[in-house]
Amino acid sequence: MIFSVETWQITIFSLGVGLASTLLILPFGIVLAWLFARKEWPLKSVAETIVLLPLVMPPVSTGLILLKIFGRRSPFGQWLYNRGIEIVFNWKGVLIAMAVMSFPLLVRSVRTSFSEVNPRLEQIAATLGASALKVFFVITVPLAYKGIVAGALLAFARALGEFGATILLAGNIPGKTQTLSLAIFNFVQTGKDSEAYALLGITVILAFTFVWFSEWLLRTRKTV
Amino acid sequence: MLLRCRIPLAHFELDIDVSFDARVTSIFGPSGSGKTTLLDAIAGLRAIAAGEIAVNGSILFSSARGINRPPQHRGIGYVPQEGALFPHLSVRKNILFGAERDTDAGTSHHLSMDHVLKVLEISRLLSRPVTQLSGGEAQRVALARAILSRPQLLLLDEPLAALDIGLKERILPYLARVRDEFGIPMIYVTHNLTEVLTLADWVLVLQQGKLVAQGVPKETLRSANTLLQLPDDRFDNVFAVTFMRSDRELGNTQVRSASGTELLIPYLPPPLDPKLQIRVSADDILIATERPAGISAANVFQGTIRGIEALNGEVMLTVLAGDEFLVRLTSAAVIRLRLDQDTRVFLIIKTRSFRVL
Repeated sequence: MIFSVETWQITIFSLGVGLASTLLILPFGIVLAWLFARKEWPLKSVAETIVLLPLVMPPVSTGLILLKIFGRRSPFGQWLYNRGIEIVFNWKGVLIAMAVMSFPLLVRSVRTSFSEVNPRLEQIAATLGASALKVFFVITVPLAYKGIVAGALLAFARALGEFGATILLAGNIPGKTQTLSLAIFNFVQTGKDSEAYALLGITVILAFTFVWFSEWLLRTRKTV
Repeated sequence: MLLRCRIPLAHFELDIDVSFDARVTSIFGPSGSGKTTLLDAIAGLRAIAAGEIAVNGSILFSSARGINRPPQHRGIGYVPQEGALFPHLSVRKNILFGAERDTDAGTSHHLSMDHVLKVLEISRLLSRPVTQLSGGEAQRVALARAILSRPQLLLLDEPLAALDIGLKERILPYLARVRDEFGIPMIYVTHNLTEVLTLADWVLVLQQGKLVAQGVPKETLRSANTLLQLPDDRFDNVFAVTFMRSDRELGNTQVRSASGTELLIPYLPPPLDPKLQIRVSADDILIATERPAGISAANVFQGTIRGIEALNGEVMLTVLAGDEFLVRLTSAAVIRLRLDQDTRVFLIIKTRSFRVL
């Protein structure tokens, strides 16, 4: 296998944006998962369905929706553009596509681990004088952390594999928006099979590591 | 404290209106009578349809006045049935979890951690993870955690229910020490008569969400309605006694009750504190109408029947023989011996039928 400079650049770009996307969605994902697991509110089931949509919709459709939202011809895209922020066809588009596509996996995993925390422990912590915030950070999150880490790993892996939404929102621009998945597609299309196989190897190793580690975390999780 | 609340439950409505003021108030009743629900309501962990809850004159909840203090501002220490220790924290961190809470005027107990650890004998457990505690140790740690949050009221939900019988008898004295040492009022939920008689100054009897009786435990729990309607429960006579002497060779210990009755109980080494509590089940006392001769039992006293209450073929006798003894017989035995009010009888109790608490 040939690990050219280009191969390395593509890998590092993918890992970097993937990591940024995971860190970006983590706080939102944790809060939303907690709201789903612990609170009752109007239209909760509708919100849950919307969050899960990217998991089942064709990624290209999600990409198209994102393009309509962030494109310069939409009011929101125009508003961003006027403030010097352009999402479409640059790395920020890659970031948004990855974030939206991996968000449901994160929320699902974290939500499950929150619901496995015994609510009695949270109640008793409250009777001992702990504020809601202290209960959350000192009881709930530490008891659910394995599920949170596993969810983040899954989301990261999903972000690295993103193709359909990315290609619509960010395009497939070598050196600018080209991720591992997009590059593999490109190399196969242009007959550069050896480069494609090199990248393929990298994706298999990364995916295997993440899924194996996240499963290990979930297996060793203690139910309390 | 004042407790007036209405809480709809799946099969009945919890509807209580009571006020009481005791060191230890026991809420007594069979499983599923709404006892835990009531504690949750006091602690602020459960919604109340209507009512008012006040402790030491401060209102925790009042539907009429729109007051509902959140659990973290109620100043209540809650030891739930399962202990609910935080599994990811060490024993030390569990115990100190509530120690930094701001105290209101009513909660200024002078409690030092060392004192609490000493009374509950858990100092050596501090650095252990809570997952490595035995059932009895976990309960004491949960108790220490609640006490050190300096509550104005302690709620104990069947703290001994999950323990086996041997362990129960070892933990009960700790609860008595907590009552005597720290001066925190307690509400103690249980369906065990011995625990009520040993610990409580006042008892509320709950059935199907309703208060059916309240009062001083011994008198309240004596009535046939309360006693005989509670299935599979042993009724114990509990006595406060003073240690006199013990003899390892003979296997017995001589103790004296407050009224002067001398009793022989199984051997125990001379205790540091001569004040003991002993118990004997109402089912383990024999009744004879003449002084028995040639029997092994060492405790034989003459007494007079002061009360007879019958229900469903069982009879609970109250016999005055220096102290009051409760004796449970079948109706057949009562008929055969022609027992009646003021009949003079002999009580016969084996040394080994007594247990030290």
